Amino acid sequence: MSSVWMPCGDYHQSYAEDHGWWQTRFIKFKMLLLLAVIFVIIPQFLSGYVMSVASMVGYTAMGALGVQLLIGYTGLVTLGHAAFIAVGAYTSTLLVLQFPWPQWIMDAGLAYPISVLVAGVFGGIWSVLFGLPSAKVKGFYLILTTMAAQFITVDFILTQYVSRIGGRGQAFSLPPGTIKVGPWVIDSEREVYYLMAVILTLMVIVLANLLRSRVGRAWVAIRDNDIAAETLGINIVWYKLLAFFVAGFFAGVAGGFWVSNTAALSPEHFPWFWSLWLVGVILIGGVGSIHGAIFGSFFMVVIMELLQVGVIPLADYFPKLLMSFASLKEMAFGLAICAFLIYEPNGLAYRWWQAKNYFNLWPFSY
Amino acid sequence: MKKRIFLGFLVPMVAVAFLAGFSTAALAAKIKIGGIMDTTGATSDVGKDYAIGMEEAWKYINEQGGINGKKVKYTWFDYGYRIPEAITKYKLLKRLRSIVIMGWGTGDTEALSPTVNKDKIPYVSASYSAHLTDPKKTRYNLFFSSDYSTNARAALTAWLDKKWPTKPDYGKRKPRFACAYMFASPYCSAPIKAIKDHAAMLGFEIGPDQDVSLFALDTKSQIMALKEFKPDVVWHGNTTMSVAATMRDAYALGLGADFIINNWGFDENLPRLAGEAADNLVVMGATPCAFFGQNYKNMDIVVRTAKKYNPGIPTSKRLIRTIQAWGDALITWEALKRADKAGDLSGPGIMTKGFETMRKFDIGLGASPITFTATDHRPTTGCLIQEWKNGKFVEVERVDLKKRWPAKWAKEWLGW
Repeated sequence: MSSVWMPCGDYHQSYAEDHGWWQTRFIKFKMLLLLAVIFVIIPQFLSGYVMSVASMVGYTAMGALGVQLLIGYTGLVTLGHAAFIAVGAYTSTLLVLQFPWPQWIMDAGLAYPISVLVAGVFGGIWSVLFGLPSAKVKGFYLILTTMAAQFITVDFILTQYVSRIGGRGQAFSLPPGTIKVGPWVIDSEREVYYLMAVILTLMVIVLANLLRSRVGRAWVAIRDNDIAAETLGINIVWYKLLAFFVAGFFAGVAGGFWVSNTAALSPEHFPWFWSLWLVGVILIGGVGSIHGAIFGSFFMVVIMELLQVGVIPLADYFPKLLMSFASLKEMAFGLAICAFLIYEPNGLAYRWWQAKNYFNLWPFSY
Repeated sequence: MKKRIFLGFLVPMVAVAFLAGFSTAALAAKIKIGGIMDTTGATSDVGKDYAIGMEEAWKYINEQGGINGKKVKYTWFDYGYRIPEAITKYKLLKRLRSIVIMGWGTGDTEALSPTVNKDKIPYVSASYSAHLTDPKKTRYNLFFSSDYSTNARAALTAWLDKKWPTKPDYGKRKPRFACAYMFASPYCSAPIKAIKDHAAMLGFEIGPDQDVSLFALDTKSQIMALKEFKPDVVWHGNTTMSVAATMRDAYALGLGADFIINNWGFDENLPRLAGEAADNLVVMGATPCAFFGQNYKNMDIVVRTAKKYNPGIPTSKRLIRTIQAWGDALITWEALKRADKAGDLSGPGIMTKGFETMRKFDIGLGASPITFTATDHRPTTGCLIQEWKNGKFVEVERVDLKKRWPAKWAKEWLGW
């Protein structure tokens, strides 16, 4: 088998080969190029605004990866993911602001990274709590139990109790210089972008690795037919809860990252609409694909921004456009989901797969 | 064929529009002002009129020659009261080189405050949170109105001065006071600590808070809970729609309390939405400026401009929100003129040579004279309290907190 190009056919001789990360030198080159674009070209050559939009894409993708794991890989429909992000954001913020860290940890800039990890664990545990009903119910009923996470967590616990810690009313504000990773203070678009890029890359690697392991195969088996999976000896309750934990962990880390982007926090940052938005992201990007979560995030954030920017010069000639665009944008979100469900139910990831296949076989695609 | 039309026409058009929109060179000749508004989100019941008023104000300013002869390019976006979107919109406006940004809600203004400070871009918001008034913490945040905490203290003081003595229990017991507001909303919760502090200082008995969503249409459970405490006066910290819902339920269930309301819940729509509850309850509110069309200096300009640029909206439907937008636009105009005259339109220049040179600056429109200093961004020292009585808004009292409690005003009440 060529070590440079993908063969026109499937010639893998082992399971390990089938799931290898670097199947050819071309793939290795392609991935290194992608990493160079993400870690060198974007931060070095593009403006702060582009980086802030990229950070929003990353934040959306972090949440969407968890939703993708639950809905796309395990078949557990969730509409409460914003609550787990909120748990992570509040855990991280409270730890940074209130926890009596030893001075050497503060000096070494470890308080924030540790708080983000703890936020992930808390997000995971909280997610498992609301995932417990998945042992008994699924489908429509599970949607309702996950929605309860939003109302219980954000509207009740965070709003009524957690937000009041410190006596500042409902919002926390982190003083400048509080968010540090080692010697780096995270206080500009570039640093936030780098933080996002590192966290998202790690998340994708972790999820991709989990999915090609026994755990990932168990999740997919449960999604495809949970009764059949159980007869094969898979402990479906355990694996469902594990999926909730991992999705919640990702959400918690996303919340911890979000704090670095805003340096302020209130329950308003985590409306129920955000959970719905994340489901829309994976529907448009493609259900059951890591690429789908990334493409969907890119589509939902960047396309909306481009449309908004495109309206600016037109507003000189059509002044009402700025006002009308606000509601048009909401409509565009709904229409995009409808259009994708009808015309491209496999999402953008499927288009990507088609394009890749075309070039794999090119010029002998027949 | 359809694909060809799409690729051949639509895509290039969008690309050109995008490039033109993104090109800062295209805007090079004008002074750029940005705007982040809510016309579709949770506070759009008051935000839409504010956004329209703000656009009209900048058009008027351009008619008058702009900033010392330099025209203004005002570009604004709706963010639907979604904070993540407010942050990207802010970054976009920064990319478009806006030298001042006209902002909206407390949540996003407070969330953006550290960034605004770092970027040194003056941010004139429709949020009047007192947390934005201490220049030591929020150097670049400004607004023209009395802050929410001043509103709350003033409204409670006016009620104690004018309404409590008319009650049968006056002199027999302490007056009872409670708060209704959306706990999760930074706007609604911003003045709660201050009003409770004030209530304790004035000798009120304070009851349990009630959580009322900004979207609330039914508040009977909150009213039933309040009935157990039997408050004499209730502070409502929400926007008009949910304030009206609370008043209707309070009237229907016979709560028997008066209402004092923060400025974003007290406008021309309140009596329309609350119906007979507004006519039969004592309803007082903090008003940072006059209502639309009231007879005050410069009001004729606002009304004329509204008719000129939005003839499709009857003036009878316009709100105090338009006037509030003008208030923020007018102080920004003045600050930019002063800074430009001093030859410094940088962020720090606009602050030190513009805003912070204002001493009792009068914008008319029924607003109090405005003062900003390098150490205190509370624009006014008190607030006009009005009430809805006999089918119209009438003045109850103009409370000047600085005059009544000078030591506390100077040493204790800044920044919360």
